[in-house]
Amino acid sequence: MTFTILRIFRSRVVLISALFLAFLLLTALFGPLLYTVDPAMGDVDNLRSFPTLAHPLGTDDIGRDTLARLMMGLRVSLAVAVVVEFFNVVVGAGLGVLAGYFGGWIDVIVARLADMLFAFPGLLLAILISAIFGSTAVEFAGGAGRLLLVSFSLALVGWPLMARYTRGQTLSLKERLFVESTRALGASDRHILWRHILPNLAGLIIVSATLDVATVIVSEATLGLLGLSAQPPQTSLGKMIVEAFNYMTLNWTQVLFPGLVLALLVLTLSFVGDGLQEYVERG
Amino acid sequence: MPQFILRRLMQLVFVLFSITFITFIVGHLAPGDPVQALMGNKRDPKLYEQLRHQYGLDRPWYEQYAGYVFGVLQGDFGKSYRYAGRPVWDLIKQGVPVSASLGLAALALSVLLGIPIGVLASVRANGVFDRTAMAVMLTLFAVPSFVIAGVLQTLQVILYQNSLPNLPTSGWGKPENWVMPVLVLAAGTMGYLARLTRSSMISVLRQDYIRTAWAKGANARRVYMVHALRNALIPIVTVLGPSVAFVVIGSFVVENVFRVPGIGFVAVQAISTRDYPVIQSVALLLALIVAVMSLITDVLYSLLDPRIRTQ
Repeated sequence: MTFTILRIFRSRVVLISALFLAFLLLTALFGPLLYTVDPAMGDVDNLRSFPTLAHPLGTDDIGRDTLARLMMGLRVSLAVAVVVEFFNVVVGAGLGVLAGYFGGWIDVIVARLADMLFAFPGLLLAILISAIFGSTAVEFAGGAGRLLLVSFSLALVGWPLMARYTRGQTLSLKERLFVESTRALGASDRHILWRHILPNLAGLIIVSATLDVATVIVSEATLGLLGLSAQPPQTSLGKMIVEAFNYMTLNWTQVLFPGLVLALLVLTLSFVGDGLQEYVERG
Repeated sequence: MPQFILRRLMQLVFVLFSITFITFIVGHLAPGDPVQALMGNKRDPKLYEQLRHQYGLDRPWYEQYAGYVFGVLQGDFGKSYRYAGRPVWDLIKQGVPVSASLGLAALALSVLLGIPIGVLASVRANGVFDRTAMAVMLTLFAVPSFVIAGVLQTLQVILYQNSLPNLPTSGWGKPENWVMPVLVLAAGTMGYLARLTRSSMISVLRQDYIRTAWAKGANARRVYMVHALRNALIPIVTVLGPSVAFVVIGSFVVENVFRVPGIGFVAVQAISTRDYPVIQSVALLLALIVAVMSLITDVLYSLLDPRIRTQ
């Protein structure tokens, strides 16, 4: 039973995607330890260079090493995604389960809040919030504040969907016989929630979170592109792409590399997410 | 039917309330002092109080919210921080027709290309055309628009460097300026529509009445275009609302990448000058468009499929 999850790798697309994702994750985590070029340091003799031995992926318009910056951008994307999904799972799934299980006023409040946020096109609200509170966040916590604000704004528009999924599932789970029998045996709500509802929802929550990561990464890149995410010396994939637009006539590879990483990241994430979804739904 | 529309209109009221409330709260909490922004560098406590009163900023927040909604209803989106006292509407109104024409062109293109591609793919499901077209459509849908923009721009640059015919990579005004932004903006929606049309067609083609149509000797064109497509289009109508949202948000990116002077471009410029009311108004305007479009979609859907109304 423990290893049946490995079945998803029978699909070659899922296997290749998962290996590629693992590679990107390891690169983001350990890459900067092995490849110690300073991502903020400009090599003035090699501005906008094409890939060379000294700079495997070339340099940007002020001579910063693209490979080093790519790893940094990847770290930013993944860090934001982790924070957003953490928030989504804790707040979104948490509120969804509570709303579905207890019903009553908590259900009404959660549903209304979610409806309100659904009314606003998600990314648009994230743009609005990160644009207006950006300077405040930087005053509070510097560059990290900006990333936290971006994460917060994306989580704010993301949690209602998670809450909606989990609420619906909880509603049907709590009517199931095994839950009723547990209750008949005198189990507390807390016991039922932790031991019976949540373990049954875990698969669904993991799948939704995985599929959502792709959306979050694109959204973060979009915010980065509009200048609302990471600020120098930090960078993000979206920001690298948009900065490279400015000197594209001189060196097109600098648009290509971050664009390719972003596109592959999003595609492989959705393949792995689909594979997981199939596994959870069919068992 | 009127009942359904009435119920949907009630929902719209809640949606409009949510949109205006959220933009109001965000603007209310925005850093910076709007009154000081109006006064520029002047320091005059008396004038300050007078202006504060004049703009109603000394009233409780719910009265301010009511005033805000009332203003928006009359087309008053507030005043710019950056250009002291200039109405926000003055700053964004030139961008509205630009964004609207860009968005409509992209939407039209994605419908006119996406649906036929989906139909063609469904005719020989799992054939060569189906597989290639669907792989391309998945890529267009999954890959963010700015990456597609980058690829297309790079292509133009290579064409330019080799003195081959090429398109401008930025700017607005000439007909050739339209091609790239419209293509990029349409790409995602087109991919989505094509894939949806294909799966919708395939499920309709399995129905009994399609077999009947074949059996009575109708030709392929009639079966696909008249019998199948008509029903297959119903679920596609439902996604037109979300498609508009997709295009609206996409226009933010596309306008900035291609330097098209629409409202998304104006809003992003306002970000760097911290002209919050402009950003706030653009967000409000776009959210309103999306809300109204999703209402139209729902009404259209209920006209096409009577089952919806009775739910």
